[in-house]
Amino acid sequence: MDDSAIIALYWSRDESAIAETQRKYGPYCRAIAMNILGSREDAEECVSDTFHSAWNAIPPQRPGSLPGFLGRIVRNLSISRWRRERAQKRYAGLDVMLSELEECLPGPGGVEEAVEGRELTGCIEGWLDGLGREDRAVFLRRYWYGEEVRALAKAWGVGANQMAKRLQRLRKDLKRELEQEGYAL
Amino acid sequence: MNGEDLFDAITQVRDALVDEAAQTEPAKVRAGWLKFGAAAAAVVLVVGLGAGVLGGKLPRLSSGFGVAPPTNNDPGSAPGGDGGPGHDEGSVFMSYAGPVFPLAVPSGGEGLIAQREVTYDFSGWGEQPWPHQMPTTDRYTIGNPTGEDKTVTLYYPFASSLGDLKDDTPVLKVDGAEAETTLRVGSYSGGFQTVPGGEDAGLLNLEQFNSWEQYRDLLSDGRYLENALGDHHDLSDIPVTVYEFSNYWGPQPDSAKGIPNATIRAEFDLDYSRTTVLAYGFHGAGIDPDAGHMMQSFSIPREFDPENGDAFYLFVLGDDIANLTTQGYATGGADTRDTIEAGVDVERYVTDLDSALRKAAEQMYRRCSWWSEWDEADRPDFEMYFGLLKDDLAAYGLIADEPVARYDTGWLQEMDVVWMNRVFYLEAGVTVPAGGSVTVEAAFSKGGSYDFYCGSPEGESVYGYDLMTRLDSSLEIAQQTARAVNTDGVEIVRQNYGFDWAGGVDTVGLDPAEEHYYLEIRAAQSE
Repeated sequence: MDDSAIIALYWSRDESAIAETQRKYGPYCRAIAMNILGSREDAEECVSDTFHSAWNAIPPQRPGSLPGFLGRIVRNLSISRWRRERAQKRYAGLDVMLSELEECLPGPGGVEEAVEGRELTGCIEGWLDGLGREDRAVFLRRYWYGEEVRALAKAWGVGANQMAKRLQRLRKDLKRELEQEGYAL
Repeated sequence: MNGEDLFDAITQVRDALVDEAAQTEPAKVRAGWLKFGAAAAAVVLVVGLGAGVLGGKLPRLSSGFGVAPPTNNDPGSAPGGDGGPGHDEGSVFMSYAGPVFPLAVPSGGEGLIAQREVTYDFSGWGEQPWPHQMPTTDRYTIGNPTGEDKTVTLYYPFASSLGDLKDDTPVLKVDGAEAETTLRVGSYSGGFQTVPGGEDAGLLNLEQFNSWEQYRDLLSDGRYLENALGDHHDLSDIPVTVYEFSNYWGPQPDSAKGIPNATIRAEFDLDYSRTTVLAYGFHGAGIDPDAGHMMQSFSIPREFDPENGDAFYLFVLGDDIANLTTQGYATGGADTRDTIEAGVDVERYVTDLDSALRKAAEQMYRRCSWWSEWDEADRPDFEMYFGLLKDDLAAYGLIADEPVARYDTGWLQEMDVVWMNRVFYLEAGVTVPAGGSVTVEAAFSKGGSYDFYCGSPEGESVYGYDLMTRLDSSLEIAQQTARAVNTDGVEIVRQNYGFDWAGGVDTVGLDPAEEHYYLEIRAAQSE
């Protein structure tokens, strides 16, 4: 079913909207949750919650991109679960991703500045806009979709080491951008 | 701010960026070439310089064997294009692992009769190394009802690449003992295609197989195997003038100093109708046949780059080049005029192409080992790598009868040799006693076929495993069965085997008239 038709079902409060969303985007959401949490059971719960969240959010919202909208919800729910349960469980997917992202953080001693999340997103968007399309895709497929480095390497036809190096270069570049924008620990 | 803040901020980037990332596929772009062309109005870009320009100076070399005709992004057939259903049997996956092939006995197997049992072991399937390498055994009981012993050479084929070889190579056992085998390798199985959605600049991208029928057609008449058993190309009768670039030096990249990419350019004159230039280590080029001029450039390696310390080469075939100069520049762009203090030693000598390529190949092999994380113990044999490098050059490079645009800069691409899919064979000799039988078992870990994660959300998390029942062979396989074990936690999405795990049907007979069986699975859904 076309995304606009699915959104129309939500707006008409037709519960088949959830079934259609599940059919079309269930595996997609499941994969994102799995990439973050690495636990099938926990991922399933996040995916299930994602569909309920979508039901509650549409209307009033009318997503421009249904996969982007759902992906964002499932990412937020997954990290919320990670925060809630990290003391009890070890979530390999997000732990690895966060340790990589922490390389992007500017060191102490920069301009002290309260970081508003939205402002930080704008900075990252500006940085992404300045990248080539492929670098942008590689970065987001790793840190938004959570794809494994090895899977990315395979898709790009390079060795895992080379892909890891490319990601490392991008992280360093983002770090420099954040420093120039005055972000600090 | 911490990593979680960054994660949250990335979560909120606008939809257009997220959607674009899902739809972006890797494209090969000849950046250096294009930059040069854009900068210099007089430059004429020539696509497809080939052996023809040498005026018959080179011996004719056979073209690539079994190369599929370029399909030029034919919708529905191009790998990396449309995933999901659409195939007449099963799905077309963006990354196709290839089928499990049957054992082949090209000759002398007449009178032998085999029974085959393929076993898929799904235990821990979801946790197996990506892309869900599944323990698989392909077992044959070969009977000899004739009155005399029969000794045959058998070949167990499998689809893989040099880069995946360590994960894909089967262990072959005869009567329970590991057999002494020889690994044989065939030529690149796929073809080439234009850059999806890009300007039509010729066949720049690899187009790997994405259907079992392509393998069937490739292997149907035994010529591919015959070719795999032959020698690699010998290029020792081709004279070459080598320019070896070593001891390069220059400033480290520093954008603040206006040197983002310290580069050395080599510029020279040549008669394009009488000279072909191959290069290793160079990654920027400007081609100007009208002016009889060429530029090749490389970034000065940084200390931590794996190629640092390597020599780089220009291999000149036919008439020699003239007026070679080198100069350092602040960037790799061909329009850059900012020169820098940099230098390189250039040594010229004459040898044969085989010897010259071997020196470069040793460096290429080291770099591939680094990139592909090959251990000493499990990396492919260097002679195999070098042989395939020469075969590919002879089939598709500038010395081929019909060069492919991907290689028209003359650059030797070390990683293509690694990632091109091929059919490999484990060769072993067995004697089947008169009136008796032997068992031959191939045990391996078979990766699934899959769609790249973002390209097809609907198909994501479905993995395909398929097999073929027939190949060109003198061995009669009279009976074939497939068995699935430890299937808990895995559900079937599509198949033509006839498995019904819930109903207790985990062993099925295969119809020899049915050439292809497919099984597409995913982790069991909880809803």
